Amino acid sequence: MDLETVKERAGPREFSPKDDMPEEYRKAATRMIQFHANSEIMGAYLERPFIRQAPSLERKLAFSAKVQDELGHGQLLYRAAESLGIKTRQEMLDELANGQGKFLNCFHYPMESWVETPMIAFFVDGAAMRRQATLKSTSWEPYAHAMDKVCFEEGFHVKHGEAVLHELMTGSKKEQEMAQAAFEKWWPRIIQFFGPTDKQSTHHGFASEVGLKKMSNDELRRAFLNTYIPKAEKYGLVIPDTPTIEKNDDGTYNVAEDELDWDEFFQIAKNEYEPGLGQIDSRKKAQEAVAWVRESMDNHEQRLYGGTSPQAAD
Amino acid sequence: MIWEVFRQKKAGDYHTHCGNVHAPDREMALLFAEVQHARRMPTNSLWVVPKDEIGEVDTEDVAFGGTTDKSYRWAMTYNFEAAAEEVAASEDEQAEAERQRKAVVDGDD
Repeated sequence: MDLETVKERAGPREFSPKDDMPEEYRKAATRMIQFHANSEIMGAYLERPFIRQAPSLERKLAFSAKVQDELGHGQLLYRAAESLGIKTRQEMLDELANGQGKFLNCFHYPMESWVETPMIAFFVDGAAMRRQATLKSTSWEPYAHAMDKVCFEEGFHVKHGEAVLHELMTGSKKEQEMAQAAFEKWWPRIIQFFGPTDKQSTHHGFASEVGLKKMSNDELRRAFLNTYIPKAEKYGLVIPDTPTIEKNDDGTYNVAEDELDWDEFFQIAKNEYEPGLGQIDSRKKAQEAVAWVRESMDNHEQRLYGGTSPQAAD
Repeated sequence: MIWEVFRQKKAGDYHTHCGNVHAPDREMALLFAEVQHARRMPTNSLWVVPKDEIGEVDTEDVAFGGTTDKSYRWAMTYNFEAAAEEVAASEDEQAEAERQRKAVVDGDD
């Protein structure tokens, strides 16, 4: 299929592995889905310590379930990316381990305290979900298919994050202050979650023309703010002064994006941000530490199925 | 000879056990199953299986799962008004899945 035909036909779930897609499309889709898959994995590793640090059994169970879900999302997405024939799952996992694999800005920052967890589990996941809901109608069918499952599970994550936030903001004065401090630390990163403004985004044009991406960075950010600013305020969080956010008469918001630290953002985007490198390395170490589990499972499968390991169903 | 009968209501559903028939061979078992178990019930397909061929393990031998309360992993557990549209949509899907799970557990057809 030539690129013109792709652009003409580009609609929701229009293309699948049955179609002969041009290399530009397959590369762009791989880049996007691999980024998404990496982010699921890195997000899971960021939250993993809080299974242990959770303040109650219920929270421990919920965090454990959530981390398990996110790793599963990563696997689903690597599978959707693999189906484009550009990179294998192993190549993508290797890239993530050796620091070439790119992932979401928010997951480059370490999380130190329990009060920070709703910043990821409520705001970042809420932002992710806004974006993922639009990707149910992406043009690469296996990607959209993965989004069905991801969005199904993600509602629990966001609402559980909201429960933690609610608990903190109705707790002691100390808890409220700590939650506010965490919010101030995370807020600019959350705003940057949707990437640079459309004018600065290098990949948006093509991805949108071939139906991979459904909404622009700016549209998604606006939609997120419209829901989550009122939510934050309702729980008693004060929106930080930077970046300046103005409310328009029609209820929408304008963000003074040039007040945000885009140098740091692009440093992160290149995997050159120091704390983020720590995240990448600690995941790599954890992976290596449990290599024996994967090996013994592989050996077991080898014995059972004689080398033809069955692939997970889509 | 006893044959256990499994009925599938519509294409794509599971075959679920619905009773048994006495018959000397498979052909007769299918005929009896048709008359006894699908004459009045909406049915897409029937299986018959010799009773002796069925393996069983029960609560005397093992501790089965499925008794843990896993409500902590469903959106419906965390109640706040007015979730974002896409979060509410996810919760609706989860609620629907729970209804279907309950229907299977309770044996509703």
